[in-house]
Amino acid sequence: MSEESASIRKKRPANRERHSPVMKKSQIRQARISGSIIFGLMAVTLLFFIPAVADTGKATFRLSTPDDRVQLDPLRIPVTGSLWLLAAVLAFLGSLQLFRKSQSRRTVILGLSFSIFVLVIMLWATADREFSLVSMLDATVTNTTPIALGALSGILCERAGIVNIGIEGMLLSSAFSGVVLGSLYGGWIGLLGAVATGGLVALLLAVLAVHFHVDQIIIGVVINILALGLTSFLTAQVLVQRPQLNDAPIFRSQKIPLLGDIPILGPMFFDQTVIVYGTFVLVAVVTFFLFRTRWGLRTRAVGENPAVADTLGVSVVKVRYLAVLYGGMVGGFGGAWFTIGTVGRFDEGMTGGRGFIGLAAMIFGAWNPVGAFLAALVFGFFDSLRQKFGLLDTPIPTEFLAMAPYLVTIIVVAGLIGRVRPPAADGQPYQKEQ
Amino acid sequence: MKKSLRIAAVIAAVATLGLGACGDDDSSDAPADTTATADTTATADTTAAAETPSGKACQVTDVGGVDDKGFNQTAYKGVTDAAAEFGLEPVVLESQAETDYAPNIQSLIDQGCQMIVTVGFLLGDATKEAANANPDAKFSIVDFAYGENEDGTPQITNNNVLGQIFNTDEAAFLAGYLAAGMSKSGKVGTFGGINIPPVTIFMDGFYYGVQKYNADNAKSVQVLGWDPATKKGLFTENFESLDDGRSFAQNLVDEGADIVMPVAGPVGLGSAALASELGVDKLSIIGVDADQYNTDTANQKVYLTTVLKNMDVTTFNAIESVVKGTFEGGVVVGSLANGGVGLAPYHDFDGAVPQELKDQIEALKAGIIDGSISVKG
Repeated sequence: MSEESASIRKKRPANRERHSPVMKKSQIRQARISGSIIFGLMAVTLLFFIPAVADTGKATFRLSTPDDRVQLDPLRIPVTGSLWLLAAVLAFLGSLQLFRKSQSRRTVILGLSFSIFVLVIMLWATADREFSLVSMLDATVTNTTPIALGALSGILCERAGIVNIGIEGMLLSSAFSGVVLGSLYGGWIGLLGAVATGGLVALLLAVLAVHFHVDQIIIGVVINILALGLTSFLTAQVLVQRPQLNDAPIFRSQKIPLLGDIPILGPMFFDQTVIVYGTFVLVAVVTFFLFRTRWGLRTRAVGENPAVADTLGVSVVKVRYLAVLYGGMVGGFGGAWFTIGTVGRFDEGMTGGRGFIGLAAMIFGAWNPVGAFLAALVFGFFDSLRQKFGLLDTPIPTEFLAMAPYLVTIIVVAGLIGRVRPPAADGQPYQKEQ
Repeated sequence: MKKSLRIAAVIAAVATLGLGACGDDDSSDAPADTTATADTTATADTTAAAETPSGKACQVTDVGGVDDKGFNQTAYKGVTDAAAEFGLEPVVLESQAETDYAPNIQSLIDQGCQMIVTVGFLLGDATKEAANANPDAKFSIVDFAYGENEDGTPQITNNNVLGQIFNTDEAAFLAGYLAAGMSKSGKVGTFGGINIPPVTIFMDGFYYGVQKYNADNAKSVQVLGWDPATKKGLFTENFESLDDGRSFAQNLVDEGADIVMPVAGPVGLGSAALASELGVDKLSIIGVDADQYNTDTANQKVYLTTVLKNMDVTTFNAIESVVKGTFEGGVVVGSLANGGVGLAPYHDFDGAVPQELKDQIEALKAGIIDGSISVKG
């Protein structure tokens, strides 16, 4: 096992370079770019947002819903003063980037700056108005769930070197089977059926990719189209005629005693449905297995360099099969969210591209379960922010807010901010030399 | 990076290649109650032979699908009703993506359909192009009225498209008045699918109906999710993701609304699921298009009423005119006066709606029909 880990570590020299005292040219350039971006955000704050609000404006955020046991007073924030303060913080962070010699924590600083800028927008939009912050954060976690599960599904496959762009198809087909089985036999059987369906679809991916060496991108596309066509066909042929098959029970929110009463955090994390709790658990479990167990090490080894792993006695075929199967099952669990986890019925194309957003979250999160979950949280946050802004009558088009997280993803993926690196053997079929 | 390019390529591929599943609907439903005939003057004639199908009555749906319990389904009811009445074969092609519109229409032209009904504002351009390229084909488009180009020539050169538009704001006005009268929290909400006129006309009417209630009864019920003055509000940006229907309704409830009107096709079914879970004291739903008490049987108890848009009637009449040879291009307008739009019965809420409010709404309806009350605010 120690030999294995040594071989993995050798493949990743990037980590060590980052903390070297002398900056490379490209790093200096990256620091300049991110410093300029931060100053740009500050300039927008000073020139646009601060003049746009009245000096006496206060933004009100409600921190409790009427049903909460612990009632907090709404937060009333004077807008103009806070914006000046935030602009100053942005200036400080920007100069850290522009003038500091060291390269460390650049991603953190940039992430912080973007968060501050979002806060600026929120304060400006809410001046003299109010909305329920706790409701927005609660919705954030809900919106995050399917994206996070899609991303986890992708991570499990890609860490073993199998590109999975069929996540959307896995979500859709398991959403369908979840609702049909759920209508017939109840929610838990529906959930099991959805997980099994995700696994079955993943087996298709595994067989074609591992055994037949078919281009994995093409398999993924085929899975997406097949799932959309098949579920639409079955909806038209079966569910329309027998609506009782499209009426499944919905998992209700289960409040965890005591923890669920914590203000703000309680509703977010401890008053959710089984599927949301399951997502938290899966993020932890996948992280543990990938980075703390022999199985995880082998999976990552196969994803980085299958030939070396094979030489060391790891069965590439078996590892890839299992990883894809687990990935599919996680995707199936995510598919169940769409039907028995929220609305109890299926409609064509109801996953609405969340599988692809999950892929984006996977990349944004650098193929790391926790990172991907945080990335999914960002997507979920913007989704719920957009809903609140829709009620506030802001001059910002809500379409722009809907677009914002993807803009950030593009910046990330383009390598301007942090460098994300896929597993080295991602997408490459492995054929044992005879 | 290479990966992101691949992802972009895949998304594009999926959008282009979405499959059109084609299904025969159960057409045993009784024909539409034709007491509500929209603008066409032809009266129903039941002498038409119904033995062997002698032609095709066809429909292209929008992305919501033919079983969306609303918009596409109602129009399709018109198609199947007419098909049963006049011995035609009903054909429907579902669009999975906007790129399907043109190929679906072309496919139906190739099949020799007598009438092609395209459902939805978003099919406006595709229908126009197909109609101008195929002068012999006859079209009727729901939610679209063609006008003139900038140079004064008509957009439709062969007079072969009948646009169906609906004064849904008249019916939504009544719904807004009702919602304002029924709200206990003093706040009512609405959200739409996409910010396009056939969606926002519901929201306009709803908003002004609430204002009318406030003016008549010295109340100050608030509308969340739409402001006709700025044309801004709450939109899901899709007509498919039912979970959005749930979360948007939850958002409105969290901001104090206890009655919500979703104008987003099947997405509204997600709002109904939430209402069912919360109970009608916390949230009740105003449906749109088809009477959702009848179509969404799983959650029927949550529907206060439905803003009816009787596309089945206008579609039926359009197909009838083709069969009888009286078809003419142009525009028909469904209104409260001709029954093209209306308010559905209160069903389970019948006992809960005070008689006084019912009477006010009846008086309002009469006023809108005779023109003494404006629904434009």
